[in-house]
Amino acid sequence: MTPKLLSGNAAAAWGARLAGVDYIPAFPITPQTEIIETLGSWIDSGDMPGRMVTLESEHSMLTAAGAAAATGVRVFSATSSQGLLYAMEMLYTVAGWRAPFVLVNVSRGLSAPITLEADHNDILAARDSGFLQLHCADCQEVLDSVLLAYRLAEDPAIRLPVLVNLDGFYLSFTREPVDLPDEEAVSRFLPPFDAGEIRFSASAPQSQAVAVLGGGPYSYFRYETHLAACNGVAVYEQIAAEFASTFGRERGALEQYRCDDAELVFYMVGSFATKAREAVDRLRDAGQKVGLVRPRLLRPFPLGPVEEALKGKQAVIVIDQNLSMGQGGILHTELLAALYGKPGAPPVVTSFIGGLGGRDISAEEFYHMVTVTRQAIASGTVPPPRLLYTAGELREIRKLQAVAMVERQETAPARGTAAGKEAAHD
Amino acid sequence: MTEQRFKRMKDLPSTHLLGTGTPMCSGCGGLEALHQIYDVLGDKTVFVNAAGCMTLLSVYPFTPFRGSWLYTAMASAPAGAQGVRDALDILAQQGRMPAQDDLGVVVLTGDGSAYGMGLSATSAAMDRNLDFIYICYDNEGYGNTGQQASSATPHAALTATSGGSRGYPGYKKDLFGIWAAHRPAYVATVIGSEPLDLARKIEKAREMKGSRMIIALAPCPTGWDYDPKDSVEVGRLAVKTGVWPLKEYIDGKVVHTRVPRERAPVEDYLQLQGRFGHLFAPQKNTALLEEIQARVDTYWAGVEPQRPAS
Amino acid sequence: MYRIRIHGRGGQGIKMASRVLGTALFHAGFTVQDAPKYGAERRGAPIFSYVRADRQAINERGTMYRPDLVVVADDTLLAVPAAGTLLGIDAHAVVLVNSRDSADTWRHRLNLDAKLVILPSAAETADRANLPHIGATCAGAAACLLGLVERDVLARAIAEELDGLGDTVVAANQASALAAFDALAGQSGLVQEGVTIAAADYQAPQWIELPFEDASIAAPDIRAAANSVQVRTGLWRTLRPVIDYDHCSHCWWVCSTLCPDSAIRVAEDMPVIDYDHCKGCMVCVGVCPPHAIAGIPEYLAQQQESARATGGGADDTETAQR
Repeated sequence: MTPKLLSGNAAAAWGARLAGVDYIPAFPITPQTEIIETLGSWIDSGDMPGRMVTLESEHSMLTAAGAAAATGVRVFSATSSQGLLYAMEMLYTVAGWRAPFVLVNVSRGLSAPITLEADHNDILAARDSGFLQLHCADCQEVLDSVLLAYRLAEDPAIRLPVLVNLDGFYLSFTREPVDLPDEEAVSRFLPPFDAGEIRFSASAPQSQAVAVLGGGPYSYFRYETHLAACNGVAVYEQIAAEFASTFGRERGALEQYRCDDAELVFYMVGSFATKAREAVDRLRDAGQKVGLVRPRLLRPFPLGPVEEALKGKQAVIVIDQNLSMGQGGILHTELLAALYGKPGAPPVVTSFIGGLGGRDISAEEFYHMVTVTRQAIASGTVPPPRLLYTAGELREIRKLQAVAMVERQETAPARGTAAGKEAAHD
Repeated sequence: MTEQRFKRMKDLPSTHLLGTGTPMCSGCGGLEALHQIYDVLGDKTVFVNAAGCMTLLSVYPFTPFRGSWLYTAMASAPAGAQGVRDALDILAQQGRMPAQDDLGVVVLTGDGSAYGMGLSATSAAMDRNLDFIYICYDNEGYGNTGQQASSATPHAALTATSGGSRGYPGYKKDLFGIWAAHRPAYVATVIGSEPLDLARKIEKAREMKGSRMIIALAPCPTGWDYDPKDSVEVGRLAVKTGVWPLKEYIDGKVVHTRVPRERAPVEDYLQLQGRFGHLFAPQKNTALLEEIQARVDTYWAGVEPQRPAS
Repeated sequence: MYRIRIHGRGGQGIKMASRVLGTALFHAGFTVQDAPKYGAERRGAPIFSYVRADRQAINERGTMYRPDLVVVADDTLLAVPAAGTLLGIDAHAVVLVNSRDSADTWRHRLNLDAKLVILPSAAETADRANLPHIGATCAGAAACLLGLVERDVLARAIAEELDGLGDTVVAANQASALAAFDALAGQSGLVQEGVTIAAADYQAPQWIELPFEDASIAAPDIRAAANSVQVRTGLWRTLRPVIDYDHCSHCWWVCSTLCPDSAIRVAEDMPVIDYDHCKGCMVCVGVCPPHAIAGIPEYLAQQQESARATGGGADDTETAQR
């Protein structure tokens, strides 16, 4: 098969097309819009069946998506950032309906200040919604993940919606060679959606998503959703194995890159993980035993595989492309909770916040994170979360502030103190 | 229209589809309208509900519906209807669902959703000419949370958030006009206390395609503060005084289906309700009563010249 | 800690009763917690509120498993298991019932070993949902049985809680509450402060591993049709509409169409009221063209029914005498 050059957005659209989706409720938002435009053009030209409807908001888009899935058809939708948050009420709601469908999120930093490039606070805001989450590192994985996501969502042991995440710009508008799987192979891997008993039909009256009063019944329904999500780890591994045998690509819950003999491992999600891969190679060239662990499956949290992958490592370097105000990185917090008290858990877990709003992470920064972490191992003292931000970047913002006429008064004593601190950090 | 099914009162159904045992308030004017509507629509319907009093119609494990139901959220019931309608059409088109399994899609919301939070989704559904019926039970306030003022609340009404001496300072939003401006297939006002007018309109709506929009004024003993036994009387007076015009929009024209020959003074309607008690005691607020009467008169002055010959 | 639970119907001022009692106990120097229990229920439906009072900080919240005093504002609720009036009552508890029947009658009916006190109703009305000031009356009676609150503190609590409703309303409620307070003076302090269960000899909860269940079972979906008929909303009713078939003109649509609850069906050209579900709104009474439907107090209707059921004439006489 000859690979084709496809952007991440095109790969997502191809995933939906190959999955034979019936229905696409849509709403435009940068950097996702290309996905729905592509699907719309295919439907218009007759290249794919299916029906697309543009709603008036992401909140309505998610409502229509959930309602259609609850009626018994295969549904695809896509959004990004502010749109995902605008739809947040419905993310929790349709997951509670047990409506299985696939929603692609193209990650983009959240307002305010409003911005365009990627970070992961949008997708992680949906972390506890009941949607399962697959995170992609390259365009091929975007296409593959959409197919995997339908199998996962529609599995009778799960029956939950799934979010597939790709980074805005770094994947959405970036073309890479992508293998388009054979349609017949896809239809073998992903048979048509069987809605089972949850659907609307005149001959089988059904009241769906009804109110519940009292903590007892509510606990039951919510916890059953959790148990269904928990099934996701085993089901995903089984689906991924089938995917590998069908299409020849490994898509396990974790990517483990040069981990076997690694002393230190990077731990992160998303497209910047390929930069980490590169850094691992260079560090290995320099004689450092470093590897990478990257969860593809973030919800359900693949606790067993993560525990196993990190067992016996000297340290984990967690890179969070997100920020939890007053706490630090979300992946870091989660990982500490997962590893605490586990036999063989790495004694040192360092935390780095980088890539906010699409800010680059340089090779040197990867190398230096290893140096800082080795110092922590040696000293026994783990530093607080570190923002990847350079003196040069601060100088740049000072210039912008001058233009914006919010220039710092160098003579003011309070500001003078701040400048002193910055100097100390440099 | 086709031959009219409801010529006289005796043509109305005498057994009712909607199950008893719901937690709606005793004397609920909204439920009175809904059960009449359901009798006409039949059980091959799926109600798509937005947050409001009637969300509690289906509380696990009980439902009064013989057909189907989906609770969505306060803002987006019309979008839920879009998803269900489209999915049913897709299933039919693909031959995955026999024709007799099709359902009529009916949005059911209160005025809080219809006049406010859900208006954007409703407007867009009409833009798309969604094939559905929308029913708003309008009890003129956020009833399920204790009757706070909504944009359906009439001028001067006391609510939980407008308890001052002049009551609610705003004026009831003209949702009928807003809806009609979208030029949907059908818009109508109804009320449970006028069952024949209601049944004719629902039957008419049932036989059409496209967006069919219904506002049912829902006298609310709890929120409007009157004895539940007076629910029908309050409703009848809303029509007799001209406060609630019964009308429909069809083929680009608004037709009043009931033009009171001689309108009763609005006082007759207002004084039954505790929410307007401050207009009558400790002393009569003549100025405010006259203002309310004048607004009703102005409305009808614009209607009467266009009164249809039929 | 003192634990007081107050049962009544929506509209009877049960929340107000707990607030009056709570404020009175607060002014008497107690730390207090008072709250209503909300559900989907409406006017006429069984509801309850509760008050906790202690000399020290209260950490307990919510469900009251072992009340020291249970107040039942409407005795028809005692027959309704769903109302939960008798939950957690043991020999130590005092049960105060607003009723026409005697304490002995209720002790016999309910087979209770709790201390039963009948609340003397100062005012009587046909519609028990509209019992004048029943909330205040209950609060006054409860305050007396607790023996922790002085008369003037009770009056002050009512004035504070009803502030804004006008002096007339406050005075009327104060009068009702104080009348109940005085009427029970002989039993002041009857309520015994409850004890707290020691941690040493607690009974372990029977926790289980919640099994995973398929979404076809574990989604909040109902596959039944119109099964709400299993909910007996007739229990909300305090007035009962009764059709006089001699005067019914068989118009057959008016009451049936306008009944908000679909609780009147037409069988063989006759309207039939479904008393299991009629909430007693009395809409049908007002709309019946020949005025053939009358509203009678539910308790009288029930007494007549039970008299008919037992076939005895004596009860009829007794009812007639009331």
